[in-house]
Amino acid sequence: MRRSRRERRRERATLRALTSSALALIGAASKASADTAMDHFETAYTFSNYSEDPLKSSKTIPGGETTRYTIDTQQVSVAGPVTDWLDLGLQYTHETMSGASPWYVTNDAAGTPIQIMSGATIQDTRDDLSLHGNYYTEEGRIGLGGGYSTENDFTSKFFSTDGELHFNEKNTTLSGGLSSSFDTITPTQANLYPTRPTYKTKESYAGFLGLSQIINRRSIIQGSFSYNFNTGYLSDPYKEVFQIGGHTQYGDSRPNQRHQFAFLLRYNRHIEETESTIHLSYQYYVDTWGVSSHTAELSWYQNFGDAFQVAPLIRYYSQSGADFYVPYLPLGERRPDNMSSDYRLSAYGALSFGIKAEYVFHTPWWRDIEWRTHASFERYLSSGDLSFTSVSVPAPGLVNFTVFSVGLSMNF
Amino acid sequence: MTRTARQLRALAAAAVLCSQSACASMDFHWPHWFEDVKLPDFPAFDEYTESPKSYVEIALEHDFLVRVKPWERAVLARNDMAFDPDALEAARRSHTFFSKEASMPGGSAGGGGCGCN
Repeated sequence: MRRSRRERRRERATLRALTSSALALIGAASKASADTAMDHFETAYTFSNYSEDPLKSSKTIPGGETTRYTIDTQQVSVAGPVTDWLDLGLQYTHETMSGASPWYVTNDAAGTPIQIMSGATIQDTRDDLSLHGNYYTEEGRIGLGGGYSTENDFTSKFFSTDGELHFNEKNTTLSGGLSSSFDTITPTQANLYPTRPTYKTKESYAGFLGLSQIINRRSIIQGSFSYNFNTGYLSDPYKEVFQIGGHTQYGDSRPNQRHQFAFLLRYNRHIEETESTIHLSYQYYVDTWGVSSHTAELSWYQNFGDAFQVAPLIRYYSQSGADFYVPYLPLGERRPDNMSSDYRLSAYGALSFGIKAEYVFHTPWWRDIEWRTHASFERYLSSGDLSFTSVSVPAPGLVNFTVFSVGLSMNF
Repeated sequence: MTRTARQLRALAAAAVLCSQSACASMDFHWPHWFEDVKLPDFPAFDEYTESPKSYVEIALEHDFLVRVKPWERAVLARNDMAFDPDALEAARRSHTFFSKEASMPGGSAGGGGCGCN
């Protein structure tokens, strides 16, 4: 009887595991520290709808624009082996964005900051293509990647290299990488808004170093440190700072350098008795703009047999505001060198929760493909009250959003 | 049944019966070879009947930093044990948080920026 492709794949994996156990020191295949190229092809498609809640009418002027951003994202990926020691992956993202975005902040009669949105509806698309290749050796992996992302008013070229080195009988893996990105910004309608530049560039250079350790047969921990240096035009050309009384609007102006540091700790544990896997992660972030943040995430992958999985997640985020964040300039105050009314640079906290359901099935009658379908939902809520630090006057533009996503992937 | 068969059966029955009784060993003594060997004190019955543990299980009781051998990695190789089980979802989520928050996602070589509003 002809063996199905799945059986053969499983046999290949078993054979590989046995071979590597025979050559125990040389290695074995495992997701936690993969040391051979992929053994199958994988293609995936995902559609997501990101939609921001409209601004509360109390947070803007009466009759003001309240609609916010909506983004439809389509993602395609193809990945597969080229040889036993080489694999390649390609990711393409197409996004269409529309809506209004926070423009500047003023205050109402009671002195509370209120958000003014960009009047005209923004229509934009983003296309992002990235390619990544991995070369595997007995001791590790070397990867090279690059990509190009373009919007109406923005382009970004990026390059990256990363690698892994296994030691301690492959129970410990050192990973690291370097990347750089070169961006150009050409704001739309620069002729209509005096604060908008016509052409600007920015660059970023980043590196990370991580260590992952297998704790035992069912748990693994990873710690990493990332550093990112940004230089160039780091301001938001579409945002302004309003001076009360003077009816003057200044352009958003941020320092032209930023050093960012992130410490990330991740822990995964599988519980065989209940067929579930827990992912825990915590990140501490700090930068030279005065922003520091804590991110904690817990996701729970609950399997029901081989076919069905439900994964709820909860994420908490809290950041302090940038040194130069101001909602607006009070009457008569001298204009500082750096200032921004961007709610994303204010102090706040955010809570998000989501759930994802995945169903895996096989079509033995057609090429014996393994299909994975999923649907997910995530809700993000941000407010000053959720912050670690006390926030006396939260930014009026803080965003709440919802993401729905469906996807299909095939492995063969 | 023939007579011979009946006699044989009776003989066999007698042999079986005798072997269970003292008469089987009347003139027989086990050799004294093992008299000087002291048998260990066996543990109490309930202790003894606990299911025996494999070395892997014993090692896992001392839970930290066990060197996990390649053939013990079935669980670690699970899809949901990867740090990012769904690459597209991970890319989309980290891009969203990167665009809407002041922090950057750590732990990877990262991608391109955006002119996010």
